[in-house]
Amino acid sequence: MPGGRSMRLIFWSVVWFNLLFLAIPTLIIVVASFTAGEIISFPPEGLSLRWYGELLDRGFQGAFLRSLEVALLCTLVSLPAGTLAAIALVRYRLRGAAAWQVFLLLPFTVPLIVSGLGMMLVFGEIGILGQLWPVGVATCIINLPFMIWSVASSVNALDPDLEHAAANCGAPPMQAFLTVTLPAVMPGVITGGLIMFILAFNEFIVSLMLVDARIVTLPVLIYNSIRSVITPDLAAVSVVYILIAVVAIWLLDRLVGLEIFLKSK
Amino acid sequence: MPSTRSFRYPLSWRLLDLAEEARRLLWPARWRRAVPYGLLLPAILLVGVIVAGLGYMADYSLRELDRSTFLLAEDYSLANFRTIAERPVYLRILWRSLLAAVIVTAVCLVLALPYAYMMVRTASPWARKALLIGLFLPFFIGQVVRAYGWLIVLGQQGLLNSALGWLGLGPVDIIYSYPGVLIGLVQYMLPFAVLMLAPAITAIPEDMELASQGLGARWPATLWHVVLPMAKPGLVAAGVVVFTITLTDFAIPEILGGGTTDFIANAIYDGFFAISDAGLGSALAVMLVALASFLVAVIFALVGVGTLGYVAERSR
Repeated sequence: MPGGRSMRLIFWSVVWFNLLFLAIPTLIIVVASFTAGEIISFPPEGLSLRWYGELLDRGFQGAFLRSLEVALLCTLVSLPAGTLAAIALVRYRLRGAAAWQVFLLLPFTVPLIVSGLGMMLVFGEIGILGQLWPVGVATCIINLPFMIWSVASSVNALDPDLEHAAANCGAPPMQAFLTVTLPAVMPGVITGGLIMFILAFNEFIVSLMLVDARIVTLPVLIYNSIRSVITPDLAAVSVVYILIAVVAIWLLDRLVGLEIFLKSK
Repeated sequence: MPSTRSFRYPLSWRLLDLAEEARRLLWPARWRRAVPYGLLLPAILLVGVIVAGLGYMADYSLRELDRSTFLLAEDYSLANFRTIAERPVYLRILWRSLLAAVIVTAVCLVLALPYAYMMVRTASPWARKALLIGLFLPFFIGQVVRAYGWLIVLGQQGLLNSALGWLGLGPVDIIYSYPGVLIGLVQYMLPFAVLMLAPAITAIPEDMELASQGLGARWPATLWHVVLPMAKPGLVAAGVVVFTITLTDFAIPEILGGGTTDFIANAIYDGFFAISDAGLGSALAVMLVALASFLVAVIFALVGVGTLGYVAERSR
């Protein structure tokens, strides 16, 4: 590594500070979830698993399942939409390619609060507000650039000559796509799909606009339960989120390797 | 000569033939030139919902709330924008959000660069993996849960104040204050910044830095004249993402600010749901979109889209 000892010392100090800073809220939630007291205090008043009993609550379980449904639907919609869009953007010479890129970055450049309220008005107008599936579609829309990015980086890395060779050997378009292009961009598809799932499962602000009391999702339920006195009852529920994040990271690492995010396009 | 009868047509071939047939039905060969647009279509339709929503917001923003019927007026006027201009509270909220976006962007870039650099350049695969996990764990946990974590850390009886108590120092009121919101926002945005920056660092050949050193440059000079200019696409992308998300964030100011430090998004939300004036809320939203788009457009015009683009430069 270039740079002298003083640079390494400074950089590693910042890295350690970052690691601690990033981990603190997560670690503290895990600690708080095992507290025995009615309120959170340091040091905790004894250890217990009593707050994990909250997980058996009907309201929590319903919200958990609804969030799961939203996340699955979001992933199912974004897999084909994002994959095909990424292939079109990278592989084909599009008329007005730059404009299409900017258009497909809109979910990131339009503020989430505005996208959320706008979709609330649109869904209200066509009469689908108050159902769960539009929430899944909405979470797909606002995070779609993540899906397109991950597939696009795989398409960028794929040598077009491979597809030409397949066509040259007589593969019709679908066969070339299914047996050459798709397997080659699979790492991007898997990465994007996992990210879309996790982001939809955690999605808060747009859900807040689109759900009502009957179909409240888990992040909205947690938000509604936060009060001015900080109690440990939400800690156990939050630990579920932490566990799911851990599983997702493990899966991502096993399937494609986390190092995929360090690749330059 | 092998008899053709003993040859079984494999199932996978049949399926591929079926796929081929389906494509021919759905997308006839004479539409070949439209193929890329067909591939883009689902994504375009999805993003189109946002555009339709923006249309509604623009329409609402021009219609004043009729206080007697609590309906929006049919006629267009600029009354909502006039109201915003007349109320100093909105200017204060705008200023507070912009200042936060500038501070959080600066802090995130300064913190993210060493992290991304070490993650890319370290010789140890274990260290690299640990840094990636340290990044993805918070990235995969939503804002609400993380804000709840900060409430426990920074709250009145929280970790920080308990620790200060043992040291004999007085409690500090960070929660429900501007600094508390900024801390939460930096922690929320840092993983985005590092993830945007890392590919740009990877793209810098290590030899460039070694050459700079070999020619006698100390590391601050190498950092300033080689690493930073070459990491520009990543810095731009990270800066744009952190700035716009911070400027427009709702959850962190809402939960960690406790109503005392509203950002623009909170004012828009209150416009719709607290004072039930969708016209005023929409006018605020239109201003926020205009402001964010203008700033992003200026940055893109000055320095390009950076690593935000979907298409790599060399494959064009």
